[in-house]
Amino acid sequence: MNTLANIALRNLTRQKKRTVLLGSAIAFGVMIVTLINGFAGAFSANVAENFSDLMAGHVFVSGSEKGEGDKTLSVIRDDSALTAAVEASGAPVRYVTRRSSFAGTLIFEGKKLQTNVDGADLSQETFLRDRLLLKEGSWDSMSDENALILSEKIASRLNVDVGDLILVQLETVTGQANVGEFRLAGVSYDAGIFGQMMSYANLGYVNSLIGLAPDEYQTMGIMLDGLKHTDAAAEAIYGRLYGGVQLFERGVKDEDGAVTPFQALMRQQKKESWEGVKYRLFTINEVLSQIEQIVAALDTTAGVILVVLFVIIMVGITNTFSMVMFERIGEIGTMRALGVHRGGVRSMFLYEALFLALGGAVAGIALALVAMGVISLFDFGMDSPAFIIMRNGHLSFFLPPLRAAANVLIIALLTLVAVASPAGKAAKLTPAEALRTQK
Amino acid sequence: MGIVELENVRKIYPLGKVQVEAVKGVSFCIEKGDFISIAGPSGSGKTTILNMVGLVDQPTEGEVYLDGKPTSKLNDAELTRLRHETLGFIFQSFNLIPVLNVWENIEFPLLLGKTRVGKDEKKDWIDHLIEEVGLSEWRKHKPNELSGGQRQRVAIARALVTRPQIVLADEPTANLDSATGEQILELMKKINRELETTFIFSTHDARIVDIADHIIRLRDGLVTENRRREEEAPAACQGAEA
Repeated sequence: MNTLANIALRNLTRQKKRTVLLGSAIAFGVMIVTLINGFAGAFSANVAENFSDLMAGHVFVSGSEKGEGDKTLSVIRDDSALTAAVEASGAPVRYVTRRSSFAGTLIFEGKKLQTNVDGADLSQETFLRDRLLLKEGSWDSMSDENALILSEKIASRLNVDVGDLILVQLETVTGQANVGEFRLAGVSYDAGIFGQMMSYANLGYVNSLIGLAPDEYQTMGIMLDGLKHTDAAAEAIYGRLYGGVQLFERGVKDEDGAVTPFQALMRQQKKESWEGVKYRLFTINEVLSQIEQIVAALDTTAGVILVVLFVIIMVGITNTFSMVMFERIGEIGTMRALGVHRGGVRSMFLYEALFLALGGAVAGIALALVAMGVISLFDFGMDSPAFIIMRNGHLSFFLPPLRAAANVLIIALLTLVAVASPAGKAAKLTPAEALRTQK
Repeated sequence: MGIVELENVRKIYPLGKVQVEAVKGVSFCIEKGDFISIAGPSGSGKTTILNMVGLVDQPTEGEVYLDGKPTSKLNDAELTRLRHETLGFIFQSFNLIPVLNVWENIEFPLLLGKTRVGKDEKKDWIDHLIEEVGLSEWRKHKPNELSGGQRQRVAIARALVTRPQIVLADEPTANLDSATGEQILELMKKINRELETTFIFSTHDARIVDIADHIIRLRDGLVTENRRREEEAPAACQGAEA
């Protein structure tokens, strides 16, 4: 090992308390930033997995049929080609779901509320029961044809209780006004900002309301073995469908300001003309691509915290190393007299700072990993308002290794910048000056 | 010309708004292998002259020649290299590196230069020096585990490890009791004889003055006496005028 680096490393042990304090400050900053990065790392995967359960799929296929007067109807009447393509794709499929939905107005005792209602085959979608915990009512009541499950927030705004009858105004797939009646079977725990999306009814009843036959539906959901298979499976299924049925092109760029690839896909159908049924294939990642913006915001926040914390810590490091320089002024003089060049003195201080930064950063990451392990042990329950960002009721973390490495690099650079000034002053001292000034 | 020659050297320090003239035009010459004492009371300019001879400080005016070569035009890197290759230093406060043990402190100067010494040769040489200074039992000890005399012995070994032509010792016995000071002087005199290393001391220790081959006395930044022990006439290097 380089002699000066060796001395720098040993110098850290001279004032143990000071080294521990500075190292702890660095470790604390790194720990906070690493925790945020770890949370952001798991955030999008958790949200996507939870939404996959609520939307019953990782990959989706929906049909758009041209009706009378060039009207576009959202319907899949015959899914034999779709089913065959899914089977032939070789994608790791756990199960296939079929859903219809509408956006309508729920009315109860004069109160009105706009919401989406998903029609699902609840006898098949048993996983929905695991994901969506009921605060009131029971899943067994969903055996009633017109049963409805609302989220806590919507039920509260309508002021409805389990067993109440709720009127619904909606449009059929052909654009006809229609009304129906739901009986509230259950109230689910609220999923925060996503609460509005969680109203579930029986597929058959929703079909009857929107004017579809009992064996028809609007969206096929393909649930895979895991989120990681989504893009590959989507490509494989799309490849199998291509040429066999009419398909909207995937991955089109939208110049009209669509925020997500999914929005771009939906807008595409307005520009195109076709006959019969044309299918669109999309993924949970495309639907939730705005989640990436939240992740980017979290990472930016972590970056800002990192910089702010380190500006404060840097002031401390600069002051401490200025003090260290005066304490070791005699040593600097001695080393210079013995033949250490100016650059050597500078390097010695920079090495010391680098070792301190690396030690603090590694300790900070280790502490963050321990904290992540401990936090993820807590079971917040599936009834937590934040369940959508959790994995089975537990906060989970994923620290991308490159992100951790970047944090260490940033801290090392900032620490070197903080020490550059005292190190430069130490290097500029003439040997005589340093020897004269020594205590 | 001798191994060291000072030619009309002046040194002025700024002290706040005042300029202090520590050395007021000093000239002398030192022969290779001599044991030289630069004596004088505090403030006479001993350490300043030693610093200029040791190239850790530069004269305001005049020239310092080392082995016949002028040094005033050398830049910092050249001066550092010359110090490392030609000079050894012994300080009043020992100035050992606290985080290194005895062996490592002695080894330190060997690790600085561009010339690399073979591992075995280096080990044998350092072990020999440690034995010479009587610290064989203490080689793994840190400076804070040693007495003042032992520390100064380490400093002597460190000053000699690069086989310098000149060793500069600034009041080497000032922080030692008289018995230890005596031992240290004997050790340096022995090395001076055996290795023909030139030793230049700044001191007001009469014992050093008594055993010196060449005595230079200073007062108020001026040379008041400059003579070799065996001569009554002022000392001069061969080929130079006194």
